[in-house]
Amino acid sequence: MTQFNVHRIGPEIKVGAFDISFTNASLFMIISSVAILLIFSLGSKKNSLLPNKIQLLAELSYTFVSKMISDTAGSKAKPYFAFIFSLFMFVLFCNMFGMIPYTFTVTSHIIVTFVLASFIFIGVTVIGFIKHGFGYLKLFVPSGVPAVLLPLIVVIEIISYLSRPVSLSVRLFANMMAGHTMMKVFGGFVISLGIVGGWLPLSFSVALTGLEILVAFLQAYVFAILTCIYLNDALNLHH
Amino acid sequence: MPKDQFKTRLEIAKKKISKKNLYDNKNNPSSIGTAFKLSTELVSAVVVGTIIGFIFDKTFGTKPWFILIFFFVGVVAGITNVIRSAKNMQK
Repeated sequence: MTQFNVHRIGPEIKVGAFDISFTNASLFMIISSVAILLIFSLGSKKNSLLPNKIQLLAELSYTFVSKMISDTAGSKAKPYFAFIFSLFMFVLFCNMFGMIPYTFTVTSHIIVTFVLASFIFIGVTVIGFIKHGFGYLKLFVPSGVPAVLLPLIVVIEIISYLSRPVSLSVRLFANMMAGHTMMKVFGGFVISLGIVGGWLPLSFSVALTGLEILVAFLQAYVFAILTCIYLNDALNLHH
Repeated sequence: MPKDQFKTRLEIAKKKISKKNLYDNKNNPSSIGTAFKLSTELVSAVVVGTIIGFIFDKTFGTKPWFILIFFFVGVVAGITNVIRSAKNMQK
């Protein structure tokens, strides 16, 4: 599975015990960030009344994310639009760049998705404590529970709260990894069955490519929408 | 007169916006998001519970006990997660 290998590009850089060399993963993160910047700076360059294609693309994605935020997290989440928008775009572009042959899929590595998810988790927790003070801890104490069961319930609630970044990161990583592995396996069948029997796995592989593009979009969407849901929990405290 | 008219129209528009914001929160999240939530929610709670049990065991030196307890607590937390998401979907 050479497509998942991380290798160094250029010289080895070390800070203390940490290896912070420039790898192909960092290269593809930079490529997707630059692509996003390019599209949106071109799209917002001249605000003509009749938009051209790039402007239409930028405006459509803006309204899409804006509607998603107001649907799930309400109007209080408007200040966090910039963060959620860039998160959605980054995950989407990383997934989509991974669909091009011979590229590297950044989001198929759990460390990348876990860092994104834990950043969201810490941020949401901090926002909750800023907005509600220690009242945010009420999230762990559901109302109408007998006092005898309370210690157990609180432990269960804390575990379910801590499981959020894990489920968020594992979902994105597993979907991308499984999809790319499946395409690799079907590609291998085409080679091993040769020109006689290779046509069936080849057609599967074509269909899977379409499915993978759908999954790439859907997982970016789910990642952003779950961020909105967690933000909603932190902003409007109700349980 | 037109100034007054403008003011009343502004008031009406403002009311409309605040009403819309009230309804904003009641809108349930798009169902596809919650549907994708279910699959990993159960597993991740169990994993987190087991990791917490493992850490407690390592610090206190009580080898199998905390990992056993927290594994089952994690299972319960996972099931509550799933039930909660399912309830959110029904709303």
